[in-house]
Amino acid sequence: MRCREAAHQLQLYLDNRLTIEQARALEAHVATCAACLEELALLEEITQNLYHIKVVTEPDDLNEQIMQRVAMTAQRTNAPRFSLLRPSLAEILVAVLLATIATLGSILQQPSLRALLPIANGHDSLSLAVMSLLHMLTTVDSSTLILALWLIGTFLGICITLVLAGSEMRSQWLKAMMERLPVR
Amino acid sequence: MRERSLQPTHSIGMPFTDAVSSTAQQDDLQLVAASKNGDQDAFAQLVQRYQRRIFNLVYRMLQQYEEANEITQETFLAAWQGLSAFRGDARFATWLYRIAYNCSLKQLEQRKRDKALQVALEAEQGNSAGIDTELDVHDRQALIQEHLSQLPAKYRIVLILRHLQDMTYEEIAEILTMPIGTIKTHLFRARNLLKARLQALDNESDRGT
Repeated sequence: MRCREAAHQLQLYLDNRLTIEQARALEAHVATCAACLEELALLEEITQNLYHIKVVTEPDDLNEQIMQRVAMTAQRTNAPRFSLLRPSLAEILVAVLLATIATLGSILQQPSLRALLPIANGHDSLSLAVMSLLHMLTTVDSSTLILALWLIGTFLGICITLVLAGSEMRSQWLKAMMERLPVR
Repeated sequence: MRERSLQPTHSIGMPFTDAVSSTAQQDDLQLVAASKNGDQDAFAQLVQRYQRRIFNLVYRMLQQYEEANEITQETFLAAWQGLSAFRGDARFATWLYRIAYNCSLKQLEQRKRDKALQVALEAEQGNSAGIDTELDVHDRQALIQEHLSQLPAKYRIVLILRHLQDMTYEEIAEILTMPIGTIKTHLFRARNLLKARLQALDNESDRGT
């Protein structure tokens, strides 16, 4: 075992998080390495001192004070249970926009529906661009097309879910994603 | 920052009676169910059961006795108000610890804002009263305690839960809603910071002699 590996395991050793084999290997290394032994002694001193920091007694009237405030405070009802499913106007508009984009392909393929739209009805430059894009999509190999549509659909689905989930859920999700990034 | 409490800390020098047994958890659930129905006596029993642990957690986070008193009260009040949101997915204790930690963080933020305001006011008044940062602590434990209070909150909390409240990595992860890998990393960095500070001090005193 190398000192670098040992240094990483010393704390796990003190927390009893190593397997018996790992602990034995570490003990064998520490027995022959003065630097790691010193490191272990210092860490042990720190953890022992932390364990022995004394418990502080709370004020005698803490319970009484809490219950006085409790007596004056009503409990919240179950009402906020569905608050997460109550998106704001801006969130609803964004979700509708994203959902429209997600279904745009099928709308544009139907001439009758296309005629209802003020755009892309065959008389402007946008409709030409859309038509050429549709033409390009239908001429590429079908498995690539399905993969591309699947990816776009999944991405839009995630976006719609996040928009409707509310800001609290979004920040929690982002935090959880960041925690799981393999950067340490 | 030197540990300054407005009144002497009453150390009783004994660990928490921990090891929350399954019967205690069962009791908790019954008391929580009664409290949800507005039974204040049941809630008073829960307060009695957890007040010392919560007070100590908050006290070690804030390092001020009176402030810890206030924030402990707010923690239990928030728990009382939000009981309907507690659906029993986690243990009641875990849920309560989470509230206490969040209340402490909020207070630390508030303190930071107050301090910024105070510094601005002092600068305006030309008041340059020096802050005594000289360490006059010889006792190793007091020193470690001192350094603990200076660690960033995210490192302080893992050390408090692991060592002062004697919790497992799994329990800490549940309270802080973080993966166990992150708890390990935070513990590792927290202890390394304490170690580095102790080593620096040792080197200093070696040079001094």
